[in-house]
Amino acid sequence: MSSKFQYDLVALVIFALVVAFGVPAVMNYDGFELNTFARYLALAIVSMALSLSWGTAGLLNLGQAATFGMGSYAMAMHLKLRASDGLPDFMAWNNVETLPWVWVPFESLTFTLLAGLLVPAFIGGLIAIFMFRARIAGVFVAIITLAFLVAFQLLFINQQGHTGGQNGLTGLAQMSLFGWIVDPYSMGFYNLVAGCLVVALAFGVYLTHSKFGLILRAIREDADRARFFGYNVANYQTLVFCISAALAGWAGMLYTLVLEFASPTYMSVSFSLAIVIWCAVGGRESVIAAAFGAIVVNMLEGRLSDVFVEGWHLILGVIFVLVVMFMPRGIYGLLSESLQKLRGIGRPRDHRDAETFPNT
Amino acid sequence: MEQLQVTDLQVEFGGLRAVDGLSFSVQEGEILCLLGPNGAGKSTTLDLICGKTQPTAGSIQLNGVEISQMLEFRRARLGIGRKFQVPSVYKNLTVDENLSVARSRRPGMWSALTRLSLTDARESAAILDRVHLGAKRAELAGNLSHGETQWLEIAMLIAQDSKLILMDEPTAGMTIQETERTAKIFRSLSDSHTLIVVEHDMSFVRTVADRIIVMNRGAMLAEGSIEEIEANEDVKTAYLGH
Repeated sequence: MSSKFQYDLVALVIFALVVAFGVPAVMNYDGFELNTFARYLALAIVSMALSLSWGTAGLLNLGQAATFGMGSYAMAMHLKLRASDGLPDFMAWNNVETLPWVWVPFESLTFTLLAGLLVPAFIGGLIAIFMFRARIAGVFVAIITLAFLVAFQLLFINQQGHTGGQNGLTGLAQMSLFGWIVDPYSMGFYNLVAGCLVVALAFGVYLTHSKFGLILRAIREDADRARFFGYNVANYQTLVFCISAALAGWAGMLYTLVLEFASPTYMSVSFSLAIVIWCAVGGRESVIAAAFGAIVVNMLEGRLSDVFVEGWHLILGVIFVLVVMFMPRGIYGLLSESLQKLRGIGRPRDHRDAETFPNT
Repeated sequence: MEQLQVTDLQVEFGGLRAVDGLSFSVQEGEILCLLGPNGAGKSTTLDLICGKTQPTAGSIQLNGVEISQMLEFRRARLGIGRKFQVPSVYKNLTVDENLSVARSRRPGMWSALTRLSLTDARESAAILDRVHLGAKRAELAGNLSHGETQWLEIAMLIAQDSKLILMDEPTAGMTIQETERTAKIFRSLSDSHTLIVVEHDMSFVRTVADRIIVMNRGAMLAEGSIEEIEANEDVKTAYLGH
């Protein structure tokens, strides 16, 4: 076991303890505050999902919000059906007389939970196969995924009779999980979201320290070299894209539960870019750091908009610029560099070789 | 037994024929050196064999299997390894991690998902001692000196354990002692591997080569043992330009 793996495991345990016990205590177990924080935790999952594809594999997916939206709508469709007697209200307003066939299986919670993970994974995988078989890389991945996101959101808004259009899906019922009615302002619900985040992070930590994660990092650095070692680069990239999409779908489902509605703004370009910012502020190389980044930025957003009602966007923008300029590897980079410097004091090392051959 | 059979190989880059009707074969366990002036098409020949470049005509057969149209990762799985002229190691990975990536007997995703990142490096740790990098296992490859980077890439190819290894100027930038050590390792490799080596260092070629092919303008100029090549008038003309 490498020392980096040990650090990550320790960080994961501390993170889990703080989220499970520290945060609710600080919040005084207040239902409203816990709901707000549960929202941050759901967003932390989508941020760590992006860190897998962007930080580990070097594939900047600007369409992450689309897969997030798919999960969110899957859950909302199920809850909408539970809330309505047969046909959802907005369909009647749009002259849709029978329940569309895509809606029918969402009566089942099991199907909904599976669809919330697998539909994003499938669609993400489809895009990935076309991109990576053709060896598209770098900024073109970002452009293609962004274009997909825009098209997908338009499609959703235009199908008003089926999706609720610009209004999204509102007036949802509460989820019933094995007879437990999930109240989004309860401690139990907070624990559910926190548990999902910790499980997702544990999976992410394992993945980044498995050989799969190592090959992804190798591909990020030099995809051709990896091919000459016999790795099917396109398959590796496609799989990490699917995993990242499924995790984003998972986060989307939780997000719908937190806010009790689904909106097409979840699939907007600005939301997708926000995910990139969270990931960058926390540090895209580490799943835990990316999750942390999402929580910190969203908390900051909440507090700043309370204090500076007019100018908070400006302040946040300045913070992002400063982070990108002075901490290109995010909070994680700052921490790991200072840790290395601390170690360096106790154990002086000879850097001469690296300096004599700067280009090698 | 013939391991590699190249027949009438040809590649064009915008009207320039970098390799023009090249045919040769390599026996199993042989060390074949490719010589030739700059631009003779030596590196391009290696590129064609490993799949970095697609030929415009001709055939390449590995153990009787036609590989000239295969994707590079499939060729690698069939047992072709490549060392590049500019050392290509992963600079942001540690020495151990580089070795783990190189050890690719199970290149599939399932095996990668069920193994930790350094499991494979541990299995091949002895290789690093062989190239005197044992003390630098946790070092980032980007912090190695030029010579050490060359060694690391050679270690990676040993870990990859390909049957046919293509080496492009493996001793470039090495000291005389390091070159000698490389020669020793190459000789020991030829027990179970076949090597095609592009090299300019004649004393190195003298030590390791079983056979030499001299290329000029994309075609074969001469073939034979070191003594035969050194006595060849055409080779002298090509090098000296008379």
